[in-house]
Amino acid sequence: MNYIELASEFAPELILTIGALAIMMIGLFLANSQKKVLGYLATIFLAVASLVIVCRGIYDIQMEGILADSLTIDPMSQFFKLTFLVVSLIVVIASIREYDGHSNQDEYYTLILLGTIGMMVVASAIDIVTMFIGFELASLSTYALAGFNKKDPNSLEAAVKYFIIGALSSTLLLFGLSYIYGMSGGLTNISELAVFFNSNPAVLQSPMGVIALMLIVAGFGFKMALVPFHMWAPDTYQGAPTVISALLAAGSKKMAFVAAFRIFLIAMIAIKIDIAMVFMILAIITMTLGNVVALSQRSLKRMLAYSSVAQAGYISMVFVVMSPEALTGGILYVMSHAFMKTGAFIAVAALGYMLLKENSNAKDVDHLDNFAGLGKRSPFLAFSIMIFLFALAGIPPTAGFVSKFILFLSVLEGGFLILVIFAILNSALSLYYYARVVKYMYVLPPSSDEKLKVPGAYALAILLAIIGVLAIGIVPEPFVNWAANAANVLGL
Amino acid sequence: MDYVLSLILFIPLIGAALTLLFTKSRESARIVAFTASAISFVLTIMIYLQFESGLAFLEFQFPEKITWISSLGINYQLGVDGVSMPLILLNAILCPLTIVYAWGENKLPNQFFALILVLQAGVFGVFMSLDFFLFYIFWELTLIPLYFLISIWGGPNKDYAAIKFFIYTHVASLVMVLGIFALYFSTGVDTFEIPVLLQAFSDIVDPKIRVGIFLALFFGFLVKMPTVPFHTWLPDAHVEAPTAGSVLLAGVLLKMGGYGLFRVLLPMMEGLGPYRENIVTLMAVLAVVSILYATFAALAQKDLKKMVAYSSVAHMGYVMLGAAAFNYMSVSGAMFQQFSHGLITAVLFMSVGVIQHSVHTRIIPDLGGLADRMPKLAFLMMAGFMASLGLPAMSGFIAEFMVLTGSYLTLPVYALLAMLGIVATAGYHLWAMQRAMFGSYNEKLGEPHDLANFEMIPMAILVLLIILFGVYPGSVMEMFEYASTIIPGVMI
Repeated sequence: MNYIELASEFAPELILTIGALAIMMIGLFLANSQKKVLGYLATIFLAVASLVIVCRGIYDIQMEGILADSLTIDPMSQFFKLTFLVVSLIVVIASIREYDGHSNQDEYYTLILLGTIGMMVVASAIDIVTMFIGFELASLSTYALAGFNKKDPNSLEAAVKYFIIGALSSTLLLFGLSYIYGMSGGLTNISELAVFFNSNPAVLQSPMGVIALMLIVAGFGFKMALVPFHMWAPDTYQGAPTVISALLAAGSKKMAFVAAFRIFLIAMIAIKIDIAMVFMILAIITMTLGNVVALSQRSLKRMLAYSSVAQAGYISMVFVVMSPEALTGGILYVMSHAFMKTGAFIAVAALGYMLLKENSNAKDVDHLDNFAGLGKRSPFLAFSIMIFLFALAGIPPTAGFVSKFILFLSVLEGGFLILVIFAILNSALSLYYYARVVKYMYVLPPSSDEKLKVPGAYALAILLAIIGVLAIGIVPEPFVNWAANAANVLGL
Repeated sequence: MDYVLSLILFIPLIGAALTLLFTKSRESARIVAFTASAISFVLTIMIYLQFESGLAFLEFQFPEKITWISSLGINYQLGVDGVSMPLILLNAILCPLTIVYAWGENKLPNQFFALILVLQAGVFGVFMSLDFFLFYIFWELTLIPLYFLISIWGGPNKDYAAIKFFIYTHVASLVMVLGIFALYFSTGVDTFEIPVLLQAFSDIVDPKIRVGIFLALFFGFLVKMPTVPFHTWLPDAHVEAPTAGSVLLAGVLLKMGGYGLFRVLLPMMEGLGPYRENIVTLMAVLAVVSILYATFAALAQKDLKKMVAYSSVAHMGYVMLGAAAFNYMSVSGAMFQQFSHGLITAVLFMSVGVIQHSVHTRIIPDLGGLADRMPKLAFLMMAGFMASLGLPAMSGFIAEFMVLTGSYLTLPVYALLAMLGIVATAGYHLWAMQRAMFGSYNEKLGEPHDLANFEMIPMAILVLLIILFGVYPGSVMEMFEYASTIIPGVMI
């Protein structure tokens, strides 16, 4: 494969790399008031990269062994790449207004693009070292982004927590992977590891194998924010700039899922039953604790963070069932969640922006009380938040319903009745805190009668997310087929 | 006329969108809303006239089928038969009348009428769907408008009532969906088509699984009907709901539970094998407990609306009893009870609504002698109460007579116990009438206005219909005559 071919296969990543560098350079020559252009540039680069992926074909593309067997292009990688790109696109569009006039916009957009590249590398990686590098690229960019509001102590706290925990989890992961490397006699390629473990399943059950597995599960557990490794997530999501929380919850957290799908479902399929047991416990406590704690939250961002923890619990049921159907449901859930969560966070960010514009000393703009009477003050914003929240609760006809339906269906098909019952009860429980926000917006009287006008950039970002949520909910067929296609790659 | 069912279903939805988005005043909102539901009504009458009663059960007329998610065997599939046609007619009659009754609504009229239309569409969808996925979507869709109707237009304790209603019935729906999942897998037919799944039910090998599926679905319907001891959400919801919401809740929403019994559960009875006796006993016990408990609870109520709410629970108990007794007479009676109770309960709730509106209380001991000042109300209300207690020549009598006669054949003990309820039923109706409407006028109540025309017309139409169907029940009964011969016939 020559370089031209290589470049055409990785055109989206290259476009973003060029974009990131260009934005950094151009930023040097612009005054703060003009830096808004960088946001438009980032939007264009992300949109072009997404278009390239779509045009390249997402159903039947298959290419392996690129760059010394470290990367692959298959329906699964393309599915996740597109999800990440769309999330970043929505986040960038919303940021154009959020950071209008900010002096560090060049760094901001560069970091978002670099983070997106990192996530895309993880989606393509079939080599554990490459995967780790992708992880680090995405993580380092997002650590900085979480602390981007550098005058806000909460944002700094969020960044520091995120960084420390992120570094710890990377270490655990790397340590675990190094054991795997050693035990297998120097293999890093996932499919070679699969062959090795299938012929020597005893290796993974030896004491060293168990330690390695524990370290890897813990490492991924932190990245996916599964209970008990979730403690960083609520603080980080609450403290970080709200648009960045969207990127963290919908993008970088989901990157851990695609990596874990490849590692657990391909490389370690030999010890299926042990993994299933571990994840069954993790899934049940994750969804239950996430939902129960979310019940008492008064901060919307914190509530969304816990809801995100709970949703990670649902998705991790895939590791228990390990069937193509479950994987289809899980993958579709990742995409649906990307739209619902991004939309919800961006909508909260829009409200925060408008309240701060009204009164620049306002504190805790994401507090539940600020949502009182929103239905009267800004019908569009209230209605879109309602759609996102009902989607998260799994009410039809939204993406959340379709993906929950398919995921829960597949778990029952796998014969895990207890797990489904837990998931269903949790789903019902979650309705309480989602419906409470809706009640605040539509039932309680507003604190002031002044209308709030949603800025165009936010409105566009929210609209994109709504289109995603409703499209998957009303015309699920292409998305389901696409997810099924992606799931087939792993050959379960 | 290929898509007449879709038209009936979607015209209210379109009307809801128009009402919500484009009407500025109360006058235009109610006219647009009424027009939409009136068009649906006219179309319903058209299919009612073309409906062929001869081919009735699981032989669907006006069928529509569009593939939706082919990989899971999900279709957009509609059709009507003798079981669903009367209920579609009921929904088409009640909604326009409710809109007329609520003609004077002042608070957010465009949202109010839009929600009523969404509710109407959801209920149509439940009665028309022939695919479990679609069925479930509409089943859930009915929750949202009613949640808003209660929580925005409700009484003082609306928060509690609305969220209780939402969560309680949502949990029941989720249990039902679990049953649907299990049915889908255990039969292995790869489709969610209701008739196909029902036919395949008896092929499931393990009888325990069959009973499990049956009970999961049963629970979903049981809560909706509702049956004691799962009825506690209903009195709360009714007491707090605005009158229009109560009319539709008792008039058509509860009928969805009963419809589930006839559409889904009764055709499954044959497949229960050795457990059938136990299930029949369970149903009969629940029915009798419902009838007796709710009747005596109604006797004890001070709040007129709560009394009517309990009377709904008791009357739905007859539906359950008729279904459990499972012979031609009882099943016909139960189906007719669904239709008839929908009309009667609407009159009762409308009467209570008028009292609340004009004298601002509905506590029975605080009322007294209202007939003196409100003769029109007294007349229509008396007619409604008489129908509700089962006076001959009105539709309630036919229904309950058939249920009791029919169930005496197969479940004599339970039928006799249920008859005890009849005495108390007459008791609480007459006693309430006497205390609230007759006797000397309670001067503390001020100078109440009698019925406005927009309140009187729908009530009068309903009373006329009750008498019409009481004298000539055949016009409805012939539709499910064949179905109710076939359903028990399948089993014996």
